[in-house]
Amino acid sequence: MGKLKILAVDDDPVTLLLIEKKLNRQGYVIETAKSGKEAVEYISEQPYDVILTDLMMPGSIDGIGVLDAVKRRYENTHVILLTAHASVDTAVEAMKKGAADYLQKPINFDELMIRLERINSLKVLEKNAGDLREAMDITEKNAGQTIQDLEMTVSGLKNKLLRIRDILSEENKSSDERIKDTLGMLVDFK
Amino acid sequence: MIEINPDEFRLIAKYIHDISGIYLESNKSYLIETRLSGILEETGCRSYGELCTRAKSDMTGSIANKIIGAISTNETLFFRDTGPFEVLQHKILPDLIDRKTLNASELLPIPIRIWSAACATGQELYSISIVLRELFLNPNRYTIKLLGTDISDEAIARASYGKFNRFEIERGLPPNILKKYFSPNGDGWKINDDIRAMILFKKLNLLKPFESLGKFDIIFCRNVAIYFNMEDRKKLFNKLANAMEPGGYLVIGSTESLTGICSRFEPKRHLRTIFYQRVE
Repeated sequence: MGKLKILAVDDDPVTLLLIEKKLNRQGYVIETAKSGKEAVEYISEQPYDVILTDLMMPGSIDGIGVLDAVKRRYENTHVILLTAHASVDTAVEAMKKGAADYLQKPINFDELMIRLERINSLKVLEKNAGDLREAMDITEKNAGQTIQDLEMTVSGLKNKLLRIRDILSEENKSSDERIKDTLGMLVDFK
Repeated sequence: MIEINPDEFRLIAKYIHDISGIYLESNKSYLIETRLSGILEETGCRSYGELCTRAKSDMTGSIANKIIGAISTNETLFFRDTGPFEVLQHKILPDLIDRKTLNASELLPIPIRIWSAACATGQELYSISIVLRELFLNPNRYTIKLLGTDISDEAIARASYGKFNRFEIERGLPPNILKKYFSPNGDGWKINDDIRAMILFKKLNLLKPFESLGKFDIIFCRNVAIYFNMEDRKKLFNKLANAMEPGGYLVIGSTESLTGICSRFEPKRHLRTIFYQRVE
């Protein structure tokens, strides 16, 4: 699985540049948006693994607006909010709405890397679990078909044997007739 | 991680069999270590031997419940393997209703009892009740009772609450069915009350007697006997045969077989799926 594809959103160009540089250096695929509105436009065009967005931004769409737009469209995208100290409560509220995490500004990049690695591991695990399920489904389907075919075959043979037993023990028939009837039963034996 | 020695494994495997019927072969010690290590820590036991002793002497049964919850596999999906539900909708229920209507009085409602014997977190039984809803049976003509049982307290509690997260919903449940029978609830979906009200959930160990549950028309017992040894499988299916009248229907897991286990059921095939009917 490749590195995470990340969209960073902040109205402060310096922060944005810093994030871009640091994450690029770690090998992440990073795109940037200068406002909530711009971010929502990008999101509507393509999915991202992680959205890293400032909580307080000028304009009609703030960090929560970005979060809502992402969650409406992509359940599996992780949203990390960047907050000033004063807005921690808002960030906690945002977690309830489906944000994966929040980080206080100024960004501690070691901390951010840990969060991103964790999201990456989660994505890998999620994919593994999905692959395993898929493999199990296929195995189960094939095994099921084989076992059910055998079950019907065994049941059919059992019934046939019971009928042969009845034929062979019919007392009002001669041995020759009984053997002839039995062989008749066995003609289509496969 | 605390390791389990062979003596302790034998001890705890026997204990798990006693309380749940789950049979662990001797190569399964990793399963004990990975699934029970948390309980070991939580209870402060220093070895699996001590855990076993503590569980046995714990009169509240709470350690036993924790062990059952950890060791049992709750792999279940809505409409897991569509075959059995198609058979239920297009073959078993129509046949059953025909047969019952033939002998029924015009005045009394016709009872239909369905049991999901190892219901885990309830997805199978909710799927069954959705099938019933989709058949639009006249509620004045039929009294339908659904029972779900499982060995795990935790599973029963979750089944009973009827709330599922998006991972559980995502697979198997068509969006139109989701919208029709579930409502958004927090970060997941909850089954609607009218469906929930059709079902009774209770805890049950299938290896203990269950005559008191009465007789059922249809029993789903999928992918539970696979965790039992041969002797327990034979006992279980024999008891399930006792829990229905001749002609009653049994649905087992798609990779399970009753050959050599119970001759009181006859396999029938509808399209590509097998179901069983109790013989006389």
